[in-house]
Amino acid sequence: MDEQASKKILIVEDDRSLQNALSEMLNQEGYEIVCAFDGEEALEKIKEENFDLVLLDIILPKKDGYEVLAEIKKSEKKDVPVLILTNLEEVDNVQKALSLGATTFMVKSDFSLKDVLEKIKENLKQ
Amino acid sequence: MYWKILDDFNFISRCKKYRIGLWQCPNFLFIVMAVITIAAMLGTNYISKFYDDETVTILSVSGVAILILVIGNFIIRGVEKIAEANIMKSEFISIISHQLCSPLSAIKWNLEVLETEKEGEEIKMTPKQLLFLGNIKKSNEKMLKLVNDLLEVIRIDQGRSVFAKENVSLAQLVKEVIIDLEYLWGIKGVKINLENNSSLPRVFVDPKKMKIVMENLMGNAIKYSNDDSEINVILKSDGKKVMFIVEDHGAGIPHYQHDKVFEKFFRSNNSSKYRTEGVGLGLYLVKAILKNFEGEVWFESELNKGSTFYVSLPVTRG
Repeated sequence: MDEQASKKILIVEDDRSLQNALSEMLNQEGYEIVCAFDGEEALEKIKEENFDLVLLDIILPKKDGYEVLAEIKKSEKKDVPVLILTNLEEVDNVQKALSLGATTFMVKSDFSLKDVLEKIKENLKQ
Repeated sequence: MYWKILDDFNFISRCKKYRIGLWQCPNFLFIVMAVITIAAMLGTNYISKFYDDETVTILSVSGVAILILVIGNFIIRGVEKIAEANIMKSEFISIISHQLCSPLSAIKWNLEVLETEKEGEEIKMTPKQLLFLGNIKKSNEKMLKLVNDLLEVIRIDQGRSVFAKENVSLAQLVKEVIIDLEYLWGIKGVKINLENNSSLPRVFVDPKKMKIVMENLMGNAIKYSNDDSEINVILKSDGKKVMFIVEDHGAGIPHYQHDKVFEKFFRSNNSSKYRTEGVGLGLYLVKAILKNFEGEVWFESELNKGSTFYVSLPVTRG
């Protein structure tokens, strides 16, 4: 708990009710949560603050997840693990995200919040 | 019989059924073409009686050829329209399913938050509230499964499905699926007998996709079983193949429907009698998924006696 308390996570998700559930769960686990509702807001926040991990949706207003991911990887913050959280499960989407440098690809309808939490913990350890 | 032939010629009702215009309807255009061809033959014959000049015959035959070409073009356009409609239908289903996925996932996660109590906190919900919360969860899971099956069919049809294959123990997967299907067999009081060879070799499949196969076959067996009956699930191997067999003693499939079982949107005539849910994608998915694992599926079924579905998968080499 104490060790996690210092970890800061950015959730990029335009669906408020998904975002609420995610942040509530992660808050309970002791993480510090920042939210962004669109791609541009996400990039601004990543520029201003340092995050230990980014949870990124693909279909987003203004800039989509791929653009956000590509810009993160081009910036000085390129080492932050980016976990894709989407419902676009097609093989081309998975490959595109991974080739752009995403750490993990998760499908919302398959994953429970506990599963997402597991993946986050796994990636924060490294 | 005669009525059926007559029905083929009733192109107006056909056009209405397919919701397309008369000049886009192949049935109508073929008849127009037939009438023109017959009229042209008779006409040419008639004209050649009055004129000895070959040019007239050649011209009239050319005229008919052009007419047939034009009508043929109409037919091609008609077929194209149908193909376009088919693509639009798939895209429509894909968009709707993707749109449904987000809110359904949101419901799932929000329910999970409600259920998860922080350590040390008292559970604030009454048993009644918990019961109804459970109902919402089950309904949501059913909807998610339906939408996911639809999306998976579209992905497989488009060749865009992800197959992450690994060495898998089917025995472990079956146990997980039995637990996942509790909401089906629990209510009906159906007992699942699992017969499992302890030294079952592993198979090279995507566990997530293999679970869809098992869920659909076992789900069907439960849905089409009578209350308080038993179904047998058998795992065995001859060293080269692993067999997964699901045997029920329920509704069975009438013989005349046997060759349609693995078609898209197939539903047995018994489905209304057994009040089963579903849209007829399960077995289509099963076959399509197994194809990617070099596996096979077949069945034996007798009406009112039950069905047995067989899945065979090659044993992992090396």
